[in-house]
Amino acid sequence: MIAELPASRKRTLAGLSNETFLTLFMIVVLVALFAIACLFVPRFYLLQNVINLFSNYWYVIILGIGVTFLLITGNFDMSVGGVVALTGVLSVWFCQGYAVSENALANGLGLPYVAAVGLALVGALAIGAVNAFFIARLKVPSIIVTLGTMMIARGVAQVITRGAQRNTSLPDAFGVVGNTFIPGTSIKIAVLIMVVLVAAAYLVEKKTVAGRRTYLIGANATAARLSGIQVSRHLALLYLVSALLAGVTGILLASEYKAGLSGRATGYEFDALVIALLGGVSIAGGFGSVLGMFVGAIILAVVTSAATGLLLSPDWQFTLKGIVTFVAILAQRFALDKRKG
Amino acid sequence: MDQAENVLEIRDLVKDFPAVRAVNHVSFDIKRNTIHCLVGENGAGKSTLIKVLTGAMQRSGGTILLNGEDYAPRSPKDAKEKGISTLFQELNVVDQLTVAENLTLGMEDTRLGFLRRTDKISAMVSVMNSLEPSIHPRMLVSRLSVAQKQIVEIAKAVATESDIIIMDEPTAAISEGEIARLFKIVKGLREKNVTVIYISHRLDEIFELGDYVTVMRDGRHIDTRPVSEVGDRSELIRMMIGKTVFEQYTPKEEACRDPILQVRGLSSHKLHDVSFDVHEGEIVGFYGLVGAGKTELARAIYGVDSHEGEISFKGKRLAPSPDKAIQAGIALVPEERRSQGLFTVLTIRGNVPVMNMRKISRGGFVNAAQERKVTREYIDKLRIATSSTEKEAAKLSGGNQQKVVFSKCLFADADLLMLDEPTRGIDVGAKSEIYGIVRRLSEQGKSIMIFSSELPEIMNICDTIYLLYDGRIKSTLRNGCDIDNEKILHIVTGGAAE
Amino acid sequence: MSNLSNESLRNPLERAARARANVKNLYIYVVLVLIVAVFSVVKLGQVEFFGRGHFLSPDSVVNLLRAAVPILTLSGAFTLLMISGYIDLSVGSAMSLSAVMFSYLILNGFPFYAALPLTLVLGIGLGALNGLLVVRLRITPVIATLVTLNLFKGIALLIVPDGTSAIKSTAAQKMPAWINDYARAGVVFGLPWAFFVAVAVIVILVVVQRRTILGKYAAAIGGNRTAAELSGINAVKWVWILYVVVGFFAAFAGLARASYMSLGDPLSGDGMELDCIIAVLLGGTAFSGGEGSVAKTVVGALIIMCVTTGLMTVIPSFWQNFAKGAVLIVAVALNHLLVREKSAA
Repeated sequence: MIAELPASRKRTLAGLSNETFLTLFMIVVLVALFAIACLFVPRFYLLQNVINLFSNYWYVIILGIGVTFLLITGNFDMSVGGVVALTGVLSVWFCQGYAVSENALANGLGLPYVAAVGLALVGALAIGAVNAFFIARLKVPSIIVTLGTMMIARGVAQVITRGAQRNTSLPDAFGVVGNTFIPGTSIKIAVLIMVVLVAAAYLVEKKTVAGRRTYLIGANATAARLSGIQVSRHLALLYLVSALLAGVTGILLASEYKAGLSGRATGYEFDALVIALLGGVSIAGGFGSVLGMFVGAIILAVVTSAATGLLLSPDWQFTLKGIVTFVAILAQRFALDKRKG
Repeated sequence: MDQAENVLEIRDLVKDFPAVRAVNHVSFDIKRNTIHCLVGENGAGKSTLIKVLTGAMQRSGGTILLNGEDYAPRSPKDAKEKGISTLFQELNVVDQLTVAENLTLGMEDTRLGFLRRTDKISAMVSVMNSLEPSIHPRMLVSRLSVAQKQIVEIAKAVATESDIIIMDEPTAAISEGEIARLFKIVKGLREKNVTVIYISHRLDEIFELGDYVTVMRDGRHIDTRPVSEVGDRSELIRMMIGKTVFEQYTPKEEACRDPILQVRGLSSHKLHDVSFDVHEGEIVGFYGLVGAGKTELARAIYGVDSHEGEISFKGKRLAPSPDKAIQAGIALVPEERRSQGLFTVLTIRGNVPVMNMRKISRGGFVNAAQERKVTREYIDKLRIATSSTEKEAAKLSGGNQQKVVFSKCLFADADLLMLDEPTRGIDVGAKSEIYGIVRRLSEQGKSIMIFSSELPEIMNICDTIYLLYDGRIKSTLRNGCDIDNEKILHIVTGGAAE
Repeated sequence: MSNLSNESLRNPLERAARARANVKNLYIYVVLVLIVAVFSVVKLGQVEFFGRGHFLSPDSVVNLLRAAVPILTLSGAFTLLMISGYIDLSVGSAMSLSAVMFSYLILNGFPFYAALPLTLVLGIGLGALNGLLVVRLRITPVIATLVTLNLFKGIALLIVPDGTSAIKSTAAQKMPAWINDYARAGVVFGLPWAFFVAVAVIVILVVVQRRTILGKYAAAIGGNRTAAELSGINAVKWVWILYVVVGFFAAFAGLARASYMSLGDPLSGDGMELDCIIAVLLGGTAFSGGEGSVAKTVVGALIIMCVTTGLMTVIPSFWQNFAKGAVLIVAVALNHLLVREKSAA
């Protein structure tokens, strides 16, 4: 007979999985950081600011979903930033009026918006497929491959825009998705999309077979294979999904700015990795959660907006992210060790 | 200078594990510059003894004297520095370096960081030459065969002036001709002031190579004597088996059933032309000692390793991949439960349903209630000692971990279960529980293949027994008929089958 | 089976293996020659062979070699680190930060022979930090060095003092003219000191790889860490040393860049790690470590320089990223084909 878990709080804390423990730990950290920020940064606690924390980072969070899943299996995806730029540019180019101007950058393929979006996503999937081939099939280290595909994706975007951007001769429909707000608020629906996607990802993670497989592969790839999991196929799927998510982000951003910039999303892949790491996702051991990643994103948002509020120059971003990431990795390790010992 | 006659003296050595005493007051001496063989069945305590000698484990009691001084290595590196080198199955050479570089690894002479060719270095390299001139010091180790790499390791041990070299089943992975060459080298070591502790199941080798032999059984020292005073194989075998009484085996009443698995001409880099059938409801045992090819056979059938030959399951050709095998109805309990069978960082609930997710899910969504229910069922059925489904698999005992792996495979609803060393490192109680499960499965019409190097296990439950040696099936037996354990051991240690 | 006896040469399998090994060793030189040939032919309608504007004209060869100084200085050490099975993605930012530091020192009146060692000390410090994170704190190398990549870049961006970068150069604070002496001014055949230093560095590192204990231990740790540790090698110590060495040469490369551009640009090193990776891949180094060759990486570096400078004359600059990414993927594919062969043996 299986004994029931005792009700005392100490035991309950011990009964939590390591993953839940870490997520809670990071939430505590988040609250602490927020409190500190409120002390030092004027007007930090205002509602609008708090809302901004959640809504300004929506694009990195969507990218973080794919990156988190792959990180759980022990792989990287550094191509997401490039894919964002690529799909944005493609969606613009496909949509621009056909032969309407002498300026080559104002001419496109004249397709209807929906078709343009669809094809742009195909472009994203193509990058994902290249990743899948080299990483899942040929077993080449993912960091190298995805750095290469990042350059290729961004490179194609640069070629199409001649190194600049495309933003003319666009149909009205183009700017709709990115500029619609949730009625009664100043929050774009892209944020809503992000929330839906994160919720869906969490659902997949915890409640679907595909989610289970991801953790199994990350926990022990050999045992996973011997247990009948088709590891290569699953990894390939994850890379395609990651590319697709990046593609969706690119479409939304292009719509918001009504322009396809080849320089868009530079550095977003690193941000996505940072928020996953802040959220406790570990590259070794098959654990972590998109929920943690979300918390990590808010932490990063708190840190960066506090820095802005303290009138630090934007150049501080890089250093801050670096320091925060290292502190988080070491703190998480310390917390877990303390727990075991 | 007069060196003591005994290079190693083992006095009252004890090694305890939580469930069992693996080495039970063992005492014997090893004379200097001899080839001293160590034999015993699986579970006799040989490997544990060796692990204590090499510093991989710490003893629980007793003393060891090396050259008359107390010897208590803290780690394999420590043991090596004190003079005991070991040749493991996993070769410890760096493939990407040359032979000479491997020989001098860690012992280089340098000046300002530059590697220098001093007399000391040349002497080390020439050891290689004296052992086996055909291996040139400038050759890249990656181009050498397994046997040649072994020789390089031996040379390194000699060059670093080890007193003792322990060789653990060295001939398991090399060919006939290479064995002859290895023996010549090993015999020559006596003149180089090296004592060899030679562990092997191949009894012919004992007679060919050994000066002394020590027999262990059930953790105890049975006897140590000069090989010349051992009459023949049978005498050795008798010492190894002793008077162990095997549990009663009840033969099946049913006559032949239909074959569910048919293997014809299976060959791989280790296996040679293996053919056999497994019938419905039959428990088939594959008995052989280290290096016989048991795990290779299991993996070939499961589709993990590549192979030639025909395998048909339920009348259809079996596709070479584990997921297809599972779909067809085969499940494997792998040899290494921690690294191959379990997801140690996950909970029991995270492990059990893994091979048949379809049964606890619908439309891709996992039914958590079902999942918990199924896990509890198996915890009860197999009596896994835990207070909840959420216990981390890593924290379970060996026996319970194995039960989790079993649960995994049982849940896959397989018609054929392959068990690779299913009760290795498990206490007696858990063992008999597992045998009970196996018998029940067979009564339900499932077929089971057991790959094991423990004879009592095989004799206990198997209906049909195949004896493996060197990648071949040497003999087939039906259990329940007049079984001669001595003859079995004779065959799996390389003797001729009649 | 001795591989020196005549017996084996008659064995067709052994001959095939030898042939494959030869291809693996030589292909990279063939590729280099091919690339040079291709670019030499490209503009032939418009310019003369060896004439002005041609790929192989003295001017453009000198320019190419001058521009190649940073990667030539750095890729050797990078290779050694990869041989041990570790990676450093922060080299580009370390380079930039060193360039900033160097310029800063120069602007504040330090002479060259003082600014140089100080900058190198910075490089050592950066490398030591990476080593600490990776081998002491045991953070996955990719993650640790990705983060230091951003950390170093951040520090460089923050401390860029006036006058050191294009953005902040003013009439009052400009770089002295002699800063170019090291990396731009022609000394022999129009090639600057920096080039010869780079050549010396390469020679030194080839020797280190083949004849010193650092090279041997890097291969041992990368090839079979257990065997290495069993033989008494302290892997933590040696890998840390390798990271420090990489930091040192990253600083060297950085100051060469600063000298060439008369600027301490905090973004000047961006992408250098990718160039190093491509060079290493083309040179046949395995990512799992154990084998690799400084000499062949250098050839790989030359190939990249030829490709990038050659492409610059043929295609507009906005094709650069795509081209580099394509080269990387091609290098990955090639490396995969080659290295796999070795492990099958």
